[in-house]
Amino acid sequence: MNSVWARLTHEQCQQLHSASLEILERTGARLFNDEALALVCKAGAKVVEGNHVRFPARLVEQALSTAPKSITLFDRNGRPVMPLEGNNSFFGPGSDCLNIVDHRTGERRRPVLQDVAEAILVCDALNEISFVMSMFLPSDVRQELADRYQMEVMLHNTTKPIVLVTYETSGCVDAVEMAEAVAGGADALRERPFITCYINVTTGLLHNADALEKLLFLAEKGLPALYIPVVSGGTTGPITMAGGLALSNAGVLVGLVISQLKREGTPVIVPGFGGDALDMRTMVDPYCDPDPRGMAQSLAHFYQLPMFSLGGASESKLVDQQAGIQAALDMLIPAASGGHIIHDCGYLESGLSGSLAQLAICNEVAGWIRHACRPVEISAETLALDLIDQVGPDGQFLKLPHTRRHLRERWYPTLMDRDTYDGWLAKGGKPLGERAGEQVSQILATHHCEPLSRTSAEAIRRVVLRAEAQSGSESPAPVSGGSYA
Amino acid sequence: MHEEQFNAMRQSIVDGAPESARESANKALALGIDPLDAINKGFVLGLNSIGEQFNRGEVFLPDLVMAGEAMKAAVAVLEPEMQKRGTQREILGKVVLGTVKGDIHEIGKSLVSTLLTASGFQVFDLGVNVPIELFAEKARELQADLVGVSALLTTTMQGQKSVVEALDRHGLRPKVKIIVGGAPVTRDWADKIGADGYGQDAMAAVAVAKSLLHK
Repeated sequence: MNSVWARLTHEQCQQLHSASLEILERTGARLFNDEALALVCKAGAKVVEGNHVRFPARLVEQALSTAPKSITLFDRNGRPVMPLEGNNSFFGPGSDCLNIVDHRTGERRRPVLQDVAEAILVCDALNEISFVMSMFLPSDVRQELADRYQMEVMLHNTTKPIVLVTYETSGCVDAVEMAEAVAGGADALRERPFITCYINVTTGLLHNADALEKLLFLAEKGLPALYIPVVSGGTTGPITMAGGLALSNAGVLVGLVISQLKREGTPVIVPGFGGDALDMRTMVDPYCDPDPRGMAQSLAHFYQLPMFSLGGASESKLVDQQAGIQAALDMLIPAASGGHIIHDCGYLESGLSGSLAQLAICNEVAGWIRHACRPVEISAETLALDLIDQVGPDGQFLKLPHTRRHLRERWYPTLMDRDTYDGWLAKGGKPLGERAGEQVSQILATHHCEPLSRTSAEAIRRVVLRAEAQSGSESPAPVSGGSYA
Repeated sequence: MHEEQFNAMRQSIVDGAPESARESANKALALGIDPLDAINKGFVLGLNSIGEQFNRGEVFLPDLVMAGEAMKAAVAVLEPEMQKRGTQREILGKVVLGTVKGDIHEIGKSLVSTLLTASGFQVFDLGVNVPIELFAEKARELQADLVGVSALLTTTMQGQKSVVEALDRHGLRPKVKIIVGGAPVTRDWADKIGADGYGQDAMAAVAVAKSLLHK
């Protein structure tokens, strides 16, 4: 994909980088993990008091020189499918919505594990969706083990790469064990990773124990981690975009330093968002805020690091005009500014709800964007000067083989209506949201994911059952939506 | 009488300026204005005005929070004089407030604390990561009317249920009411765990607190 838009200039990125370095050297951060603390202190960080440390700039520059500039994510079968580099953009859903807006009824309700299975199956089928996240938080399983069930269901229902989110470190360890079982061992997974773990960090300068434990664990495993400090402008950071991004980026650099000290060359994926703010009237976290758009993509490109962007989310409560407009705008900008992994397609209500109909609409938008941003081939074949000359001023191109040869290269909608008025009416005269819901139902009725081997399925079930046993449960939930080969 | 002074008091709250509020309060005392009058005819009117503007979307949350801080500053100056005179500001109720164990998110809870205080409640803020039992113990010790439990994570939300159970166990209910809040918290959840009230944001929390205590 061609990058068509850069929000920040190189000089502005340099200013932000210097600002983040100053924050780390002057203000410092707290690390709630002894190993991380010991690593940075040994490397030259200065303890202010307790777990509050200041980082000299050279630690950051050193880490930036060893962190990989490119990461490739593979699919479940070990095929390279997501080269995270340059201006390659890949779209996928978000994780853990507390509600589902049911595509069959429009009802907003608590999701169950079957909804997660359906969401992943739909992602598996949709062409423009390149990776999956859990989409929903299932309410019908033991809450502290929901991450294990989500992982099992994702492994069963798609071959696409998985961005996983877990509560505690133990959930991350279990999820990696499940992925290793499917990949055929730890080495196989490290060589061809089809998972990456999303690590939420409290703020730019508060690095919670779970986040650091997960980062160190994944570094040891040699698996890619997404290290994402959350800074909300006006509450946990400055409300100005520059200050907010400088602060969250300082947190990203802390993660980068620790990961590289743990194991040089550890793959780390940085956030392609930042400089956000809460809505100061409602306290809602707007997922589709125009102000910070594109800044973090510029910064990640400045560092030449793989990034995890945000796009396709809406603050709307239903699949309506607002949801469509916001998703489209907010998918186009991260793609046009070269965002790599773009997640949160299908999110409504700032991520508190998710909709599969909305996800299908995002899939349609993603195809549109891929076509709008792809490089244009200019060659003898595509210029077709000889044909133009042969046809002359009075002829036409309808019957030429050249037309049939190339017509399918252009984008055709699967959901957007391009019918004549009568044609549209004859098909029921339905609005987009309804057509998208029908597409989802059609997929669920017909699509099947390539099944896991019996050995893999049994191995991942054992991890779930072990976690259940450790938490003292006697009634684990059955596998959802999975079938054995 | 003292019209200009009352206006200045009101304005200091609208401006969200604790320094001016403190200054106006001191001036009121120097002029011999009854501290209760200063509150009811001056500062509270500012608070009402900013609340209405917030509801109309004309001012933003930080404006509201700073109005609350200005109110606290004014009351702190006037309180010793009220005690001396044997009068006190009408307290709408005593509230014990905290973020539940396992959760260190502070901002939402503190916002509720500020707005409740500014609205005339006496708030005992237990902070974050508060053990379940401590909510019950403090409610008993302080003879609280209301306990507020905050949680930002779906995992720590379960702790709100435990606080409800702890208050039951201590025989404090239904005299002591419980309100819950936090991003993942819904009315359904509040009903399910047997809480008495729920507010979707800090302003709503104040309204719920008032209605539960029939104020």
